[in-house]
Amino acid sequence: MTAGRRVAGKLGALLLTLFLASLLVFFSRFLVPGDPVSFLLRGRKPTPEAIAQVTAQYGLDLPPWQQYLQWLGGVLVGDFGRSLQYRQDVTTVIGERLPVTLGLVLMAGAMIAIVGLTAGIIAALKRGRVLDRSVLVFLTMLGAIPSFVGSIVLIAVFAVQLGWFPSFGSGEGFLDTLYHLVLPSIALAVVFVVLVGKVTRSSMVDQLGREHVEVATSRGLKRGTVIRRHVLRNAIGPILTVSGLLVAGLLVASSIVEAAFGLAGIGSLLVQSVDRLDFPVVQAIVLFVVFAFVVVNAIIDILEPWIDPRSAAGAGAR
Amino acid sequence: MTLLDISDYTLDLPDGTRLLDGVSLTVAVGETVGLVGESGSGKSLTARSVLGMQPRGATTGGSVRLDGREVLGAPAGDLLAVRRSSAGMVFQDPRAGINPMRTIGDHLTETLRLVDGRSKSDAEARAVELLRAVRLPRPEDHLRQYPHELSGGMLQRVMIAGALTSSPRLLICDEPTTALDVTTQAEIISVLGEQRATRGMGMLFITHDLNLAASICDRVYVMNAGRVEEEGDARRVFRNPQAAYTRRLVAATPTIASIGPLGPVVIGEATDAASAPRSVVELPRAVDAEAPMLDVRSIAKTYHLHGKPPVRAVVDASIEIPLGSALAVVGESGSGKSTLARMIVGLESADTGEILVDGVVRTAMPRRRAERLAHSRSVQMVFQDPYLSLDPRISAGRAIEDTLRLHSTLTSRDARTRVLDLLEQVGLGERHATAVPRTLSGGQRQRVAIARALAVEPDVLVMDEATSALDVSVQAQVLDLVAGIRRERGLTVLFISHDLAVVRRVCEQTVVMRSGEIVERGATATLLERPRHPYTRLLLDSVPRPDWDLDALAAIDRTEGVPA
Repeated sequence: MTAGRRVAGKLGALLLTLFLASLLVFFSRFLVPGDPVSFLLRGRKPTPEAIAQVTAQYGLDLPPWQQYLQWLGGVLVGDFGRSLQYRQDVTTVIGERLPVTLGLVLMAGAMIAIVGLTAGIIAALKRGRVLDRSVLVFLTMLGAIPSFVGSIVLIAVFAVQLGWFPSFGSGEGFLDTLYHLVLPSIALAVVFVVLVGKVTRSSMVDQLGREHVEVATSRGLKRGTVIRRHVLRNAIGPILTVSGLLVAGLLVASSIVEAAFGLAGIGSLLVQSVDRLDFPVVQAIVLFVVFAFVVVNAIIDILEPWIDPRSAAGAGAR
Repeated sequence: MTLLDISDYTLDLPDGTRLLDGVSLTVAVGETVGLVGESGSGKSLTARSVLGMQPRGATTGGSVRLDGREVLGAPAGDLLAVRRSSAGMVFQDPRAGINPMRTIGDHLTETLRLVDGRSKSDAEARAVELLRAVRLPRPEDHLRQYPHELSGGMLQRVMIAGALTSSPRLLICDEPTTALDVTTQAEIISVLGEQRATRGMGMLFITHDLNLAASICDRVYVMNAGRVEEEGDARRVFRNPQAAYTRRLVAATPTIASIGPLGPVVIGEATDAASAPRSVVELPRAVDAEAPMLDVRSIAKTYHLHGKPPVRAVVDASIEIPLGSALAVVGESGSGKSTLARMIVGLESADTGEILVDGVVRTAMPRRRAERLAHSRSVQMVFQDPYLSLDPRISAGRAIEDTLRLHSTLTSRDARTRVLDLLEQVGLGERHATAVPRTLSGGQRQRVAIARALAVEPDVLVMDEATSALDVSVQAQVLDLVAGIRRERGLTVLFISHDLAVVRRVCEQTVVMRSGEIVERGATATLLERPRHPYTRLLLDSVPRPDWDLDALAAIDRTEGVPA
């Protein structure tokens, strides 16, 4: 199979996944108790005419499938409708908050990659020794700390006691934003480092025992070269797969961290919108999370033949 | 001039286990020295020690001198120098030994570029030269290929070329042909011999195969349990072994040449098998020459792989085995012999043709539970690797008992009695019933697997390379066991093997398969002595023996054009 056909196949699967996700995202709102109209008209005693007018204005009088088609048509051109709580376009509402969340997730992702890989590599190279066990115990301990607890501890120590970092808000300008995001990123990363660390370790330990590593050693390559070119290189596959799966977790967990640090990102917006039955916003955010997850994993899938040339030859080749 | 001088070399693990005990051996320039022994004898460990690749934390004693330099306790930098210039090593399995995620070119040029500091083009030119030297057809193209695109034999040539990149003075070969087919083995051996001769290298050749060692080595050392048991001229050791261990090993080694009775050979720790009761009983049923027990009528199987041309695994194969008889199916990897076995056992469905066991049609793959049970009652299979075919958490007794209970309504007590009975039949005892596979040796595990297969008293027993993963002495025990059970119970056996010498010991009739087709069939003795089909002849000529003529073999290979 040629690379082009493979990529086309993956893209087809990606579009199908997104379509199914859009169905689920849209129609799940009909399962949730609560009526958007009563939220829109909260606190008032509306006349039936007013109710009918608001219902028509938001297109809620149409049958569900027509509502879906309208919504989908809008989504395809980047129009997610109007937010019920902000009385603004959903795109505007999300657009203001997305950079904060993306910054948070990217910074946390970088931390996870650096710390997780380093810890995993050290543990693998010292497998069976005290350092290996300590690293594993430490990682597992970190993984057991829920994000909200981690956030509170970080704020208490580094923001309140030591005063090194701000405890609230997302700052102004690029550098200030980065500075404001340091503590939230740590709080977000802590839980996920253990996954990357453990996968890195086990994947490398698996490779370290392979005969091709022994062959490389027997040819007089330095240990560092052998580790880099033969152990780490071959261990990448599982690490990337797990990293791809982390994307959804990171985006979802960011809501907790954003709330704890008072960051105006889409995570906290999601929680708030669910609370207020602001369906257009909820749908847009959930669809975005699904989109990000599916796209990242599709990219990893498409990269696979370059990571492991055997996979391009199909399942028959070992 | 002595190239490698190992004297009184001992190696202990941190827990005090002594793996090598006073090993002494020498290899002179231009000499081929064999290191022969069974698994766990310490031969690979000795070889790896020459390159300073001992297990972590091991303590060593004695001396290992290569080219006049002491290797034991040498600083890391010196060890790198030894590996970069003095000695190269060819490993057993090229599939595992060459990084599957890097190109052949990368494998070959890696040390040239990273260690010798050559330019990419210079290194590639050298790689092409080496690939040509090991007689690979298209060196320039191979550089861009990945290991999975090459056959095992081609990859082993790449491995040899890789070991030669450093122009070593000593070439260590650790079972370089064990993972290969017998015809491929002959080719690789001739490439190795040619390179050794043109480069004037010394060669340390590790193998478990005495025939092979005797046919290519000048001198051999026979190792057992970390000691050198015997050393001397290769053919002398093979023909006239002095040490008791070597004598047992030679006796257990199957050969295609010697014609003797299929008598039991008692060797090594075989005593428990030998002392097992061998009461001869009448055949359970009268031999009926009219209706064969297993009757396979022109079955075929073609695999359609996605995006690849269809693979004709078995083409119009017919075999018959009379009750109480044993038929061998011999062939190289990819010949379709395992597919044939799997269709008979009901693990694969045949596209066309018919399979009859004891007169009952068993062509279709069993779907429902009752069908599966009926099929497995009539045909049982013993698999190649007893390390994989037994559940590591289930004791030997339980494994057999489970099978019994699945197929009959025995009470617990009766089942247990029957289990002990079966274990005794395969030369094991009550103490093995509670043992989990981990605590059993390879031979004991295969005995358990055989007992489990015999538990349901199948009409036909299929053994798919059932002794290939075992050491020669253990293989001899298992073969004796099968011969004994056949004598006692008149068992009908289909014996799948790549090893012609083993087949001679077990089966009256043999068929030879190649690319899914049966190319020759006949009585085993006749077939081995007077092969008619050129492929059978090539197979036989490829089996190493002391008077092996590799040049003649290479000539046959080219003139008759019988590809692997």
